[in-house]
Amino acid sequence: MEKLEGEKHVKYILSVEKRKDDFESLVMDHLRINGAYWGLTTLDLLHKLDCVDQEEAVSWVMQCYHEDCGGFGGNVGHDPHLLYTLSAVQILVLFDKLDVLDVEKVSNYVSGLQNEDGSFSGDMWGEIDTRFSYCAICCLSILHRMDKINVEKAVNYIVSCKNLDGGFGCTPGGESHAGQIFCCIGALAITGSLHHVDKDLLGWWLCERQCKDGGLNGRPEKFADVCYSWWVLSSLIIIDRAHWIDKSKLINFILNCQDKEKGGISDRPDNAVDVFHTYFGVAGANYLSV
Amino acid sequence: MGGSSCFHVDGMMLLKQLEVILERDTLINEIGFVHPSQLATLDRSPDATHYDETAFWNKDHKLAISTEILQHLYRAVMQEYMNVKKRLEGLIKQSIGKYSSDSPTFGSDSDHLLESEILKHTMALLILNSDFGSAWNSRKMVIVRKAQLSLLMDELHLCTLILSYSPKSQCTWSHRRWVIEIIGEKFQIMHEIVGQDSELVKQIAEKSKMNYRAWSHLCWLIPYMKGTQVIDELNKSKKWSELHIADNCCFHFRRRLLFKMLEDISAREDDESCINQKIEVYFLWKEELEWNESLISRYIGREALWLHRRFLSQCYINYFTIDHETCNSNGEDFHGIHSTLDDFLDKELELLLHSLDVTDNEFEDTQVQAQHATSYIIWISKQVPPHKHEKLQSRLQEMDLKPIMIKLCADKPHLCVSPLLQDYNSNV
Repeated sequence: MEKLEGEKHVKYILSVEKRKDDFESLVMDHLRINGAYWGLTTLDLLHKLDCVDQEEAVSWVMQCYHEDCGGFGGNVGHDPHLLYTLSAVQILVLFDKLDVLDVEKVSNYVSGLQNEDGSFSGDMWGEIDTRFSYCAICCLSILHRMDKINVEKAVNYIVSCKNLDGGFGCTPGGESHAGQIFCCIGALAITGSLHHVDKDLLGWWLCERQCKDGGLNGRPEKFADVCYSWWVLSSLIIIDRAHWIDKSKLINFILNCQDKEKGGISDRPDNAVDVFHTYFGVAGANYLSV
Repeated sequence: MGGSSCFHVDGMMLLKQLEVILERDTLINEIGFVHPSQLATLDRSPDATHYDETAFWNKDHKLAISTEILQHLYRAVMQEYMNVKKRLEGLIKQSIGKYSSDSPTFGSDSDHLLESEILKHTMALLILNSDFGSAWNSRKMVIVRKAQLSLLMDELHLCTLILSYSPKSQCTWSHRRWVIEIIGEKFQIMHEIVGQDSELVKQIAEKSKMNYRAWSHLCWLIPYMKGTQVIDELNKSKKWSELHIADNCCFHFRRRLLFKMLEDISAREDDESCINQKIEVYFLWKEELEWNESLISRYIGREALWLHRRFLSQCYINYFTIDHETCNSNGEDFHGIHSTLDDFLDKELELLLHSLDVTDNEFEDTQVQAQHATSYIIWISKQVPPHKHEKLQSRLQEMDLKPIMIKLCADKPHLCVSPLLQDYNSNV
């Protein structure tokens, strides 16, 4: 009987944490703080967060902090960005070490990235994306500083990204995408604004992501990918339509994506594993009580 | 260290060689990271090269880099980049407190040198790793102070080069948009840019199917398109779409173009030219519906085609039909060229009938087609006023389609609840 190989996944995560020197690892250095979040949260879900040296982790996170602006970069010396700032805050929450932060400064950095129309830019260079709305709102919610942004405008911008098919894109009119949907729904949920969502319509789009193999894809005509077990499933749970997918088939798909010998989870069965998919596979499995 | 080389690889020297190649050949349009054994087989020019031939190959504006040296190259360029980055940031801190595009340009020679070093190192770095956002930022810092057209076009060229082998690179697409925005503000060449990028996206989409970022980029350009360009794009992408019917992205792009046309006519006052425009869009819509139906009949069980029809029908119902029963005009009366809602629904039910003709057919595609058709009709039923449901139900009853539809929806909780599939007789 298939089961979640928790211990093997822990081993895999801990092995990845040690730096590798090959080219493939080097070109991921710019998002190391995201990787740290995925790895550490997976350990936490598997009740093994204590395998990691907390002080070392927190100290490294703070090395990614930019004193002058209040944002975090993806690695030491890298430019600050909302994506990395959220991961930094989430990691500190995992260790219950928010007290090392200058909360005022960090929240000012985040709120300073809100634009006139309510959208959020990722950094000072201005790129707008609903992912950044989620990063900002999630971050400020954790820091209890939502009062620093114009919540109504933020919500209105997200709603303006709603499509006729019920889904959400990266900007107004952008193609519906499960990842973007998670960000929009998550942000609307945090701000108590789910009444803007037609739950039946969105639930319809989301449950149509389930493929024959039981896995979930991110958009029509695409193959299933384990990470959508999170993006799609958590969105369905938020809008109370999770019963519209076949859970047992999804569980089977996730479990089949495991590397049962070396640990770790891949995007689909028999592919190479990575931290990203391990995290979302474990998180999805967690929701399904596996 | 990776156990491949037993002698010391001088990353710095290789980096210098790479940067010289990039400086000399400004028209490189193809880059590949190849195994050293493959590199050795590439056709060499008889002239002496200024680089290590086991590491690089550059001919006919193509560049190959040996996979064996990548990590050394990358480490070297990261080191150089971080050095100049620190120097640039130090300089900015010294001059004005907060960086802004109104800051006076650097005057001194050493500052110009620093800027060209930034551009040189980031180019090499981004060619190796286009997702390293900080490097793109550094280029922006240099460019925003100068913003000459030639420099901006060079940026587009670099993005095009990188996208040719990293078509999903978010940072590259984002940088391209940043550059285009500046071009749009300062120079009057958006028409050409739109045309050029439309071609670029299709080329990329040919090799990189369902590329969300590529198509999102093209959708982003739609507001920059003038009226005729929208119709042009619709026509140009039609053939492409026919050859890629499983690519939901290209159909979404068509939907955005069509929707823009709808928005344009809805926003305008009802004058002579506007009426003509509305008629044009009406016929275009009908054409798109017919074309979609022909594709649905030809390519059985394709989700993207049915999803496209959902959109087309929903908008058609809302903008171009008149419901005689309630004497309710959805949208304007286009001087006699409207359809009735009933006529439209009858046609769609014909399509459903045709698509459900799978009773004895065990082919998977035909089963899928039947499922899509069923979902589609239920979708449509949600777009019409409630008083139409009874009519739809009775038609389904007449055509004896309910049993098969109920069977197809058995394992789909979101469809089972549809009023269309409920017991009609018990409502009487």
